[in-house]
Amino acid sequence: MSLLAVSNLTRRYNRGGETVAAVHDVSFAIDPGETLALAGPSGSGKSTIARLVLRLIEPDAGRIEFEGNDFLALAGSALRAHRARLQMVFQDPLAAFNPRATVARVLDDPLRIHGIASRTERPHRIAELLERVGLPVDLASRAIHEISGGQRQRIAIARAIATKPSLIVLDEAVSALDVSVRGQILELLLDLQRKQRIAYLFISHDLGVIRAVAHRIVLLDAGRIAESGNARAVIDSPQSAIGKALVAAAPRLDRTMQDAS
Amino acid sequence: MSALHRFLRRPEAVAGALILAALFAMAVSAGLLFPGDPQSIAGPALLPPFQDWSLPLGTDRLGRDVLTELFHGARTSLAVGLAAAAAALAVGAVIGTLAGFTGGLTDEVLMRITDAFQTVPSFLLALAFVSVVGPSLGVVVVAIALGTWTGPARVARAEVLSIRERDYVANARVIGMHPLAIAFREVLPNALPPVLALSSVIVAAAILTEAALSFLGLADPNRVTWGGMIAEGRTVLRTAPFLSIVPGIALVLTVLGVYLAGEGIVETTAVRRGLS
Ligand SMILES: Nc1ncnc2c1ncn2[C@@H]1O[C@H](COP(=O)(O)OP(=O)(O)O)[C@@H](O)[C@H]1O
Ligand SMILES: [Mg+2]
Repeated sequence: MSLLAVSNLTRRYNRGGETVAAVHDVSFAIDPGETLALAGPSGSGKSTIARLVLRLIEPDAGRIEFEGNDFLALAGSALRAHRARLQMVFQDPLAAFNPRATVARVLDDPLRIHGIASRTERPHRIAELLERVGLPVDLASRAIHEISGGQRQRIAIARAIATKPSLIVLDEAVSALDVSVRGQILELLLDLQRKQRIAYLFISHDLGVIRAVAHRIVLLDAGRIAESGNARAVIDSPQSAIGKALVAAAPRLDRTMQDAS
Repeated sequence: MSALHRFLRRPEAVAGALILAALFAMAVSAGLLFPGDPQSIAGPALLPPFQDWSLPLGTDRLGRDVLTELFHGARTSLAVGLAAAAAALAVGAVIGTLAGFTGGLTDEVLMRITDAFQTVPSFLLALAFVSVVGPSLGVVVVAIALGTWTGPARVARAEVLSIRERDYVANARVIGMHPLAIAFREVLPNALPPVLALSSVIVAAAILTEAALSFLGLADPNRVTWGGMIAEGRTVLRTAPFLSIVPGIALVLTVLGVYLAGEGIVETTAVRRGLS
C-alpha cells in the first residue's frame, strides 16, 4: 500500500475575478522510502501541491490518503498529532524560522509539542539531532540568523526528522544553496533515507538534481500532470512538450548530475 | 555605530531623555525627600516662590508646600501614564493579534468592537467611566486605557496580517504547534516593533488625560496630581498665578520629554532596522 495517495486533487484561485486552477485533477502516490520528484516550470503548481499535502491550504476537490487514513478528514488536535509523521523543509531556510529563534528552540519545539522527550531529556535529544545532520553540538545556543545558509538547511532537516516522520516534503529545499553545499545536503538526505526509510516528495525545477536523487518523477504543466514515470527514463527521453522543453533548457544536465551524485 | 550612539547624537532626543530622567528622579525621591503626607500644612497660605528657602516654590491656598506637591504629583503622572499606556499596548497587541491571525468572523467582531471604541472620543469615554465607577488610581488607569487601546490594536492587526503569511508560521503549523501558541509565541513578538513605536504618543496622551481628569476633580482624592494643583490654583489665578503655572510647566515639559525621547528611540532603532 502506498504511503501517500493523492487523487484528483484540485485547487482554484481567484485572480482578477477569474477562477484559475493552480492544481487541476492531479493524482500520484508515494511508496515508503521512495523519492518522488515533482518538477515543472515556475507557476506550474508545485508549491500549491506541497501546501495541499501538508494541509496548509485546503483543496477544492480530491482525496489525500496518508498512512491509510483519510488525511483531509482530520482536524484540530488529531491533525496536529498526525503532523509528526509528515514534515516539510522550505526553500529559504532563513524565512522558514522565527527570526528571534535559537537553534535549540527550533529543535526543541517538535520534541515538546509531540511529547517525544521530557524537558530534562530534550537537550540531549537536540544534541543527537545536531550530530545526525552533521553539525557541531555547540551550535544549539546560536541564533538562527547567525549561522550559515547551509547550516540552517541542516537545522531544517534536523527539525523535520525530530518527530520520526515517514514522509518529508522538500519544496526547492536545495535550490537556494551554493553548488558545493547542495551536494552535501543531498548526500545527507539520501543517507537519512537509507537509514530511516523516509520517503521524499522532492520538489525541484533542477532536472539534474532530480535525475540523481529521485526514483520517479511527476512533470507538471499549468497545474496538470503532463508526464510521469521513472525519473531517469523521463528525463532521458521526455515524451511531453513541456518535458522536452525543460530538458532542452536544462544546462549541462550530465555534469550537474555527476556533481550531485 | 550603536543605537545608543545615534541616540546621543540627536540633541532633541537627549533633551527629552534628560527631562524624563529628572521626572523619574522626582518620582522616585518624592517619598525620601518629602516624607509624610504631601497634603499637610507646611507654612503660611499663599507664600510666593523664592521667599522662604525651606519652601522654595511657596505654598498654596491652604499652606501646603508646592515643591512637595510637585514631586508627589510627578509620581502620580508617571505611574498613571505608564500603567495606562502599558495596559493599552498590551490589550491592543493581544486583540490585534487575535483579529489578524484568526481572520474570518473573529476578526470581523473584534474589529467592529474596535471601531465602536474608536468612534467615542477617548476623553469622554474616560470621563464617563471614572464618573460611574468612582475615582481611584486603578480606575483612572483603566479609564485612560479604554480609549487608547484601539490604535495599537489596528497597528498590530496590520502587522500580523503580513506576518501570518510568512514561511515560519507555516513551518510552526507543520510541526503541529497549537494555533494560540503560534499567534502568541511566533507572531505577536515579531509584530511588536511598530506597536511599541506608538508608546511615546500614548504615554504622553495618557499623562495629559490624567491631568485633565484630575483638573475636573476626577482623580484619587488621596493623591496629589498636577491636574488637581492647576485646578486648585485657578481659584486664586489673579493673586497667585504661580500655583497654576508651576504644575502647568511641569506637565508641558513631561509630555515634551516623553515625546522627544520616544521619537528618538523609534528613529534610532528604525535606522538600525533599515541598515541591517
Ligand atoms: N495565494 C494565492 N493566490 C492566488 N494565486 C496563487 C496563490 N498561490 C499560488 N497561486 C497561483 O497558483 C499557480 C501555481 O503556483 P505555485 O504552486 O506557487 O507554483 P510553483 O511552486 O510551481 O512555482 C501560480 O499561477 C500562482 O500564481
Ligand atoms: Mg514554488
